[in-house]
Amino acid sequence: MSLTDTELAAPEPSRPVVFWRRYRRNRAALLGLAIFTVVVLMALTAGIVAPGDPLSRAGAPLTSPFVDMSVPLGTDQLGRDILAGIFYGARISLLVGVVATLVAIAIGVVIGALSGYFGGWVDDVLMRVTEAFQTIPNFVLLLTLVAILGSKIEWITLAIGIVSWTAPARMVRAEFMSLRNREFVDAARNLGVSNTALIFKEILPNALPPIIVYASVIMALSILLESALAFLGLGDPNYASWGNMIGQGRAVLREDWYCAAIPGVAIVLTVLSFSLVGEGMNDALNPRQKQ
Amino acid sequence: MSGKTVLEIEGLKVALPKGADRPLALDGLSLSVKAGEVVCLVGESGSGKSLTAGAVMRLLPEPHVHVSGGSIRFGDTDILAQTETQMKAIRGKEISMIFQEPMTALNPQKTVGWQLDEMLRLHMKKSDRKARRAHAIEMLHRTHIPDPEGAYNAYPHQISGGQRQRVMIAMALALSPRLIIADEPTTALDVTTQLQILKLIRDLQEEEGAGVLFITHDFGVVAEIADHVVVLRQGEMVESGPAKQVLNAPQHPYTKALIASVPDLKPPMPKVGKDAPVVLTGAHLMKTFKARGGFLTGKRKAVVAVKDLSFELRRGETLGVVGESGSGKTTVSRIVTRLLEADSGSVQVGDTDLLSCSPSELRSMRKHIQMVFQDPMASLNPRKRVVDLIAQGPIVHGETREKARARARDLLELVELSPAAANRFPHEFSGGQRQRIGIARALALEPKVIVADEPVSALDVSVQAQVLKLLADLRARMSLSLLFVTHDLRVAAQLCDRIIVMQRGEIVESGLTSEVFANPQHEYTRTLMTSIPGRDWTPPKDVTL
Repeated sequence: MSLTDTELAAPEPSRPVVFWRRYRRNRAALLGLAIFTVVVLMALTAGIVAPGDPLSRAGAPLTSPFVDMSVPLGTDQLGRDILAGIFYGARISLLVGVVATLVAIAIGVVIGALSGYFGGWVDDVLMRVTEAFQTIPNFVLLLTLVAILGSKIEWITLAIGIVSWTAPARMVRAEFMSLRNREFVDAARNLGVSNTALIFKEILPNALPPIIVYASVIMALSILLESALAFLGLGDPNYASWGNMIGQGRAVLREDWYCAAIPGVAIVLTVLSFSLVGEGMNDALNPRQKQ
Repeated sequence: MSGKTVLEIEGLKVALPKGADRPLALDGLSLSVKAGEVVCLVGESGSGKSLTAGAVMRLLPEPHVHVSGGSIRFGDTDILAQTETQMKAIRGKEISMIFQEPMTALNPQKTVGWQLDEMLRLHMKKSDRKARRAHAIEMLHRTHIPDPEGAYNAYPHQISGGQRQRVMIAMALALSPRLIIADEPTTALDVTTQLQILKLIRDLQEEEGAGVLFITHDFGVVAEIADHVVVLRQGEMVESGPAKQVLNAPQHPYTKALIASVPDLKPPMPKVGKDAPVVLTGAHLMKTFKARGGFLTGKRKAVVAVKDLSFELRRGETLGVVGESGSGKTTVSRIVTRLLEADSGSVQVGDTDLLSCSPSELRSMRKHIQMVFQDPMASLNPRKRVVDLIAQGPIVHGETREKARARARDLLELVELSPAAANRFPHEFSGGQRQRIGIARALALEPKVIVADEPVSALDVSVQAQVLKLLADLRARMSLSLLFVTHDLRVAAQLCDRIIVMQRGEIVESGLTSEVFANPQHEYTRTLMTSIPGRDWTPPKDVTL
């Protein structure tokens, strides 16, 4: 622009700072972040707020909320403390959400990256496998896997990861297909960089933003899947889980609706928070957006 | 020549939103366009020249960018006082526009005829379908499009870039507007097409007696077409005057510097003798692009990109590969660096044939042949710091991190960037600075050969001159051997000792640059030479940068 082009412009603020500035502009995303923080705090403080086993009897069965202050949110038909259930349930939901998402993203990134980077027959084979998975409805496949593996929480989490990897794989593939022909990849290849390093060090960091955003969607879906399993009575019976609570509360839905409604609200808010955070990140990571 | 004034801009100010790099995009621009006159608005990127067009058409992205002062008078009409409805009647009919990229300015879903007809329908309400069709075809005919009837029924992707620009011109002139605004109308075109389009604009405008506001960054184009020149620098008008005066005796230092940056067409004498050792040989290179056929769709037609191409590059020499788009010159640069696999042939670097190397041999051979890419933004990984970008090559080839980084900092100095640049990311630099980083990266491995693929074509002319100067300096200091791919003959004339001219994948002519320029043998080379915009004008060189 000017005649001497060697003068540098003023330094820009670092990436995290820019990210936070953009994220902060979206109020809904801030609300999402607040709810998410509360859920994390609940999971962390479950042992302090409600010491002891959340599945043991804590008071008279079917106490309404706000009646007995030792069980502020009431009890279910077996006399278990609903508040304790919600706090311990947050642990399970977050565990399932985070681990299943990591599993799904890991599988998705590897398959999508190989497929998109190499193309040709590698792409053909991997995409046919992906399509095979996509033709089976998620939940049916999940039920099958849980029926085979058993309903321990570890297996359930793994199974949820296995049924959710197809969408991120396709997304990573699309990103890689557009990025692999960019000049900076050619430039790195021309320096003698190996394929592995090209995939993971050059292309992947540039493909990450949409994947991170999509991870929030997978987290929300994983929590819903776990709840749905538990609702059908196929969850791990050894842990308090929001889905389990709803499933059991269903039996007394007409007289004591709160047994199902309170964990229901917890699920709605948690999933909502993930969606809002995801949307906020999408806005903040979108390179077209100016500060 | 001097007719009635059609456009009168006085003291125009356009405000930018807060946080932009300057408060006013345009500060006090005054110009007037008379009927039958071509006024060129010249400036580098960011000078506000396209915003001027937006302001005249009242198509600024308001309210962020808006006119904050001055006046624009079109004939007797005050443009700034018109309502949106009144403007709709003026746009297209009274003032029309020709855009840079005809592919994006035309709707890909509709035929050329439909789009011409739509405009006629909107502005000539009475006429019937047949009359409109006849008028449209007549307009296409006047733009010398081959087969106007066929073009009328074609979709934009079915005709060539030059023909699309002719369609845009037909659209712009169909309603006999009094003012035509052409915003870089030939920048996306090859030189031979560019010359034809410039002639066409000039001829039709003289027939119609319209005024033309011609926006460009290219002084060659200015020399070709302008009656009057207005030079913009960062929104400020620095010079305005008759074309001859501004081009041959510029007054303002900025104009002088800009014009001095235009490479002239006198090639330097070759410095390298015939006895220098050959560092790079390409022999009988062939490349055909086969479209991958689907299971049901069948094979599509293969395209021959490079056909039996051979060349030699000697130590310390610069070999230019010149041609228009589609000539296969970029394919050559990719084959030589083996970013693209050739079908047959060999590329000798020293004693090794690069094309028959195994993948691991190839990786170690790559340090001998490095590349500078066309688009400095796209060729630098946006997520890496500059120092890591430059140090990456040496680290891959076994240098320790500390040494590679230290060397990267030295290289930054060599390409005249401050050491503070090392810890920044590519997006924090201007185009020319990024290209300097790209050059530093190529130098980091101390290669025998550097392949440069259009390294300056994305840059403004003053920056281009500086980068070319840097390349020439480095070449002399480090006795670099350059394979220089370009479409710009001016750039080739400035830097290359020898050139090869390519057309449709084949070499049509090769030789010493000075000889080829002075006495082109092949007909295609002659066409290329006569198409260089402003070839009869020698930029005055009384200023040094």
